[in-house]
Amino acid sequence: MTAIEKPAPHLYDEMLCNEGVHEHYRAYLQWLENTPDATLEQKRREADTLFRRFGITFNVYGEEEGTERLIPFDLIPRIIPASEWTHLERGLRQRVTALNRFLHDIYHDQEILRAGIIPADQVLTNQQFQVAMLGVDLPGHNYIPITGVDLIRDSDGEYFVLEDNLRTPSGVSYMLENRKMMMRLFPELFLAQGVAPVEHYPNLLLETLQSASDADSPCVVVLTPGRYNSAFFEHAFLAQQMGVPLVEGADLFVRNGCVFMRTTTGPRQVHVIYRRIDDAFLDPLAFNPDSMLGVPGLLSAYRDGNVILANALGTGVADDKSIYPYVPDMIRFYLDEEPILNNVPTWVCRREEDLAYVLEHLEELVVKEVHGAGGYGMLIGPKAGPEELDTFRQLLRDNPANYIAQPTLCLSTCPTMVNEGIAPRHIDLRPFVLSGSEIKLVPGGLTRVALREGSLVVNSSQGGGTKDTWVLEGAPC
Amino acid sequence: MKLSIDHVTDFTYDTEVTHSIQYLRLTPLPSAGQQILQWHLDVPGSVHRTLDTYGNVLHVCTVDQPHQGITIRAQGSAEISEDEQPESDNRIPPEVFLRTSPLTQTSDAMREFARGFRATNADAQAGRHQLIELMSALLERIPYRSGMTHVQSSAADAFAQGFGVCQDHSHIFIACCRWLGIPARYVSGYVHAGDDQHIASHAWAEAWVENAWHSFDVSNGLSSSNHHLKLAHGIDYLDASPVRGVRWGGGAESMRTYALVDQMDRRAARLRDKQKDRLQEQQQAQQ
Repeated sequence: MTAIEKPAPHLYDEMLCNEGVHEHYRAYLQWLENTPDATLEQKRREADTLFRRFGITFNVYGEEEGTERLIPFDLIPRIIPASEWTHLERGLRQRVTALNRFLHDIYHDQEILRAGIIPADQVLTNQQFQVAMLGVDLPGHNYIPITGVDLIRDSDGEYFVLEDNLRTPSGVSYMLENRKMMMRLFPELFLAQGVAPVEHYPNLLLETLQSASDADSPCVVVLTPGRYNSAFFEHAFLAQQMGVPLVEGADLFVRNGCVFMRTTTGPRQVHVIYRRIDDAFLDPLAFNPDSMLGVPGLLSAYRDGNVILANALGTGVADDKSIYPYVPDMIRFYLDEEPILNNVPTWVCRREEDLAYVLEHLEELVVKEVHGAGGYGMLIGPKAGPEELDTFRQLLRDNPANYIAQPTLCLSTCPTMVNEGIAPRHIDLRPFVLSGSEIKLVPGGLTRVALREGSLVVNSSQGGGTKDTWVLEGAPC
Repeated sequence: MKLSIDHVTDFTYDTEVTHSIQYLRLTPLPSAGQQILQWHLDVPGSVHRTLDTYGNVLHVCTVDQPHQGITIRAQGSAEISEDEQPESDNRIPPEVFLRTSPLTQTSDAMREFARGFRATNADAQAGRHQLIELMSALLERIPYRSGMTHVQSSAADAFAQGFGVCQDHSHIFIACCRWLGIPARYVSGYVHAGDDQHIASHAWAEAWVENAWHSFDVSNGLSSSNHHLKLAHGIDYLDASPVRGVRWGGGAESMRTYALVDQMDRRAARLRDKQKDRLQEQQQAQQ
């Protein structure tokens, strides 16, 4: 095997450390060292062919060559020891519980606003706040059946929450397909080590969706914007895995306060919609009147409690970057606990003293638009030229409330197969949290990797790749 | 004042529509300012009645059978209080009505215009009298003229155009209020604005000052709603629109709408006058 390029000394590497290798990677590394380059190369080609044949692709916005592309898959897994996962799982449960309490609160009594923990205007005039949700009672007060939380690790290996995804988090299909691929390519690895299974995720998802409804045997559907959406593959995949219909807006209609699906045997009532369409497009009679994707009348049926949306309407206010800095306070306020997982330190530019600091230290910081997503509209200070810095200085002065800033994070690295051999690349982790009558997680999640050397942007929409994520069973050696 | 309303909306389509659905906000609710004497809504298809986000009565009307037209008719009568009766309803926190929407975003020119109506005391909120001044200045700046804007025009569009109708006046007024930090909302309904029958499906604004919702009818220069029957309110036109629909098929559409608002005691008086005239004519004929 070709040598593994050494990680940078100031970064945390998942596999390698000063003493050589982290304990939980020892067995894997041994296997890797005993595997000839030619075998790895052949496996890589095999993976490419299989993924292409399955049609696992991703549309990248703003890229001209071809509309569909494979998300690059890396053969070297990201491995998490059991004890670390136990800690993460506790932190995630705590965080998701608090976020859900927050959503119920702001759409009802607004105690957190009255207590002055979060400025009321920041919530009430937030574009993601849905007035239509005020006073609406959801079964079990469950707003966020499906959550994806993005985690990163700093140079000491401590995990931090980078952002919460409470709208329509995507990527779980890659988690499932990556595992299937790894088991197919390297069955011997899974025989040698206890890797916690993830393939029951679709069952858990279906259970979660069904439990969100009070109906006896609820009819669940997956609502997609259609085949031109970047995540269409995932919508189709999850519907197929759960054994439920995949529908577009035109397949559904509203009559007498209920939602029905057109079928060959006549209309059938729908109780739970796992929707992968943004709020604004769900009902052209209530929101964006130009939307062709939604179901006219859906809001009236939803507000009357005759259909469940997963996730609920108006969850985006809780994962908005302007609200993110307050999540640790939410945990303290609602649960009376200290956060198990910390936020990345964040400067809120609408605060005068924070803005002054940010303008002063712009070349060290990452600046993000509060309502942006997917790595668009951001400044990475250390990578920016003087012109870009000036542009952002002006933007910040013109509309400070539109931005937050964070230190440039040293995301951890993980050895990754690249053209030059095996080299460290930055990664993050998106575990998926399912909230029904109880909170359930499959161990691990989706590991994304920034394939360009030195790049910190792992978003698949900006050319990131993925890795299989292993949570080892039992106590680490 | 007693008002009698007859409001008909008639859609005709070039080709057959297979399915259509409408959100209708055509049913007034009683309040301190308005007492509903009787009301009837006549719509085709299956109808489901509920309350919308803002507590307005919402009828969701679905027509599943192929059709080439739809007629919606709202008829009734109401007693409007002579004195202004500001509502202090705050089930929805008034601050929610500081939100902007695509239809109520301010432009530079609008902010320049609104700047003059800031409270003189920097810490205080502009009061009702300042909003009355804002209303008069706005009508002067953007005189009422139909045909210059259309139903999708935003506040900024209409302001740039220099003319507008009640919808535009209300949007601009709301946008300015919100920019001044005063919660404001869009109201749809009917107005009786003259001595005679009047085409009168109307829009005005309400602003949250002195802990109550006060009416501002910019197009008529009225800071009260004692000639008004309110149907619905919301963030903007799209939220409070009396009729909002979607259909499958149908090709081009033509819409005809008329709303007759009549003051009932005046109508009675007119009838009496007519009878008197006729009596006089008969008497003259007899003589």
